[in-house]
Amino acid sequence: MRPVRVVIIGGGTGGTILSNRLVKLLKDETRGGKVEIHLFTDSDSHYFQPANIDIAFRGAEPSRFVKSERELLEKEVILHTSGVELVKPDDRTVFYNGSALDYDYLVLSTGSRAQPSAVPGLAEASHNFHTGQEDSRRTWEALRRFERGRILVLVNIPHKCPPSPVEAVLLVEELMRKRGIRDKVEITFATPYPRAYPTHSIAEVVEPIFEERGIGLVTLFNTDYVDLQKKKVYSLEGEELSYDLLITVPPHRGAGVIMASGIGDEEGWIPTDKETLRVKRLDGVYALGDATNIPISKSGVVAHLQAEVAALNVASEIRGTGTICRYNGRINCPLELGDRRAIFVAGTYEKPPARQDPSLIKYLMKRAFSTLYWPMLRGRLDLLFELYLGKPYTTKG
Amino acid sequence: MRRLVDARGSFCPGPLTELIKTYRKAEPGDEIELLATDPAAKSDVKAWAQKSGNEVVSIEERGDHVAIIVRVVKK
Repeated sequence: MRPVRVVIIGGGTGGTILSNRLVKLLKDETRGGKVEIHLFTDSDSHYFQPANIDIAFRGAEPSRFVKSERELLEKEVILHTSGVELVKPDDRTVFYNGSALDYDYLVLSTGSRAQPSAVPGLAEASHNFHTGQEDSRRTWEALRRFERGRILVLVNIPHKCPPSPVEAVLLVEELMRKRGIRDKVEITFATPYPRAYPTHSIAEVVEPIFEERGIGLVTLFNTDYVDLQKKKVYSLEGEELSYDLLITVPPHRGAGVIMASGIGDEEGWIPTDKETLRVKRLDGVYALGDATNIPISKSGVVAHLQAEVAALNVASEIRGTGTICRYNGRINCPLELGDRRAIFVAGTYEKPPARQDPSLIKYLMKRAFSTLYWPMLRGRLDLLFELYLGKPYTTKG
Repeated sequence: MRRLVDARGSFCPGPLTELIKTYRKAEPGDEIELLATDPAAKSDVKAWAQKSGNEVVSIEERGDHVAIIVRVVKK
């Protein structure tokens, strides 16, 4: 009889934390050969994605923000540096690289992918920092060369990291000031929401800063298409905006394997119970992080906290304890405001984010995270995070 | 066609994201029923509907959440 097999697809923040957490929760079973934990990920490179903003708007060196996935994992985790091409939940089997592997439990931490091509003309016309380090680097090069004219920061939904568009435009403004060309540059922020940030209490902090720094705000603007020749963006609501340099947050979609396997909705988001993280209508399957259809921010902190909950629930199922952990919707996203100030967007399913005052200490906390991230993936800072964020779940026996 | 969008518990990015995602897939004549706990949902949806040329058919308080029905008029 083969060991109980857990297959995890996706080695981002969520999949990596989940793999390590499962090894710890099932220490005796994994060491005794009774449980196997398999992690599939596209390559051995693990990127610290929040740094893309530093690469794009501060010219940070990309190689500082990547490590080997193998080195981030407990040795008991069986790593496959291969993407999964297809999942057949009815057969409890995944297919990859010409091989197949059957599972008892499956966790989908397949993330989201920015897809500029989902909007006509957008991919050809724009720069962005959501499609990886190289495109972030190109954004920096374009900004560095820019001398005068109109910069448009254009937000499309859905996208990961709700603070990232506001951070982008404020860092662009700061950069133009530092370069001494602010008076030659018109900066506009166009968003599908009725205000600068989707959450009211946070918009109340952001909008006065936009006004103070001379950033134009266009609301309720859902991109229809971009005309590269005319350098104009058109909205579903019938408006048009001109630009000389277009920086966008592209609309995101679910992973290819989710689409190919028919597990997700039309955009590839996986129907998932927002508390237990079980995939609806599929036995033994969980999903977490950006990959789900849960109406909550697609962010590293959500992937992190949901990985803890999913790990506890998978371990509970394997051990047959009957305990079910329910994620409480905890979010805690740093939002950098330029000029070395930041706030945190923090809340739960029950508690909306409250207004905060920008501070240097919050900015320094955000900056420190690029160092804390790597030990966090190994679970070495669990106590610190639990003290700071509280338990992200409730338990029912 | 009636499309149900359950955005209860969503404050960031909020119910409007879910509504617009569904709107992009909808056809003229479809109705979208949005469930939300975010207190800003009512005013946000009204503002969006007015600007985009769509119609808010009803807004109903249901204890701990609100149900907003939008008819897709313009695509």
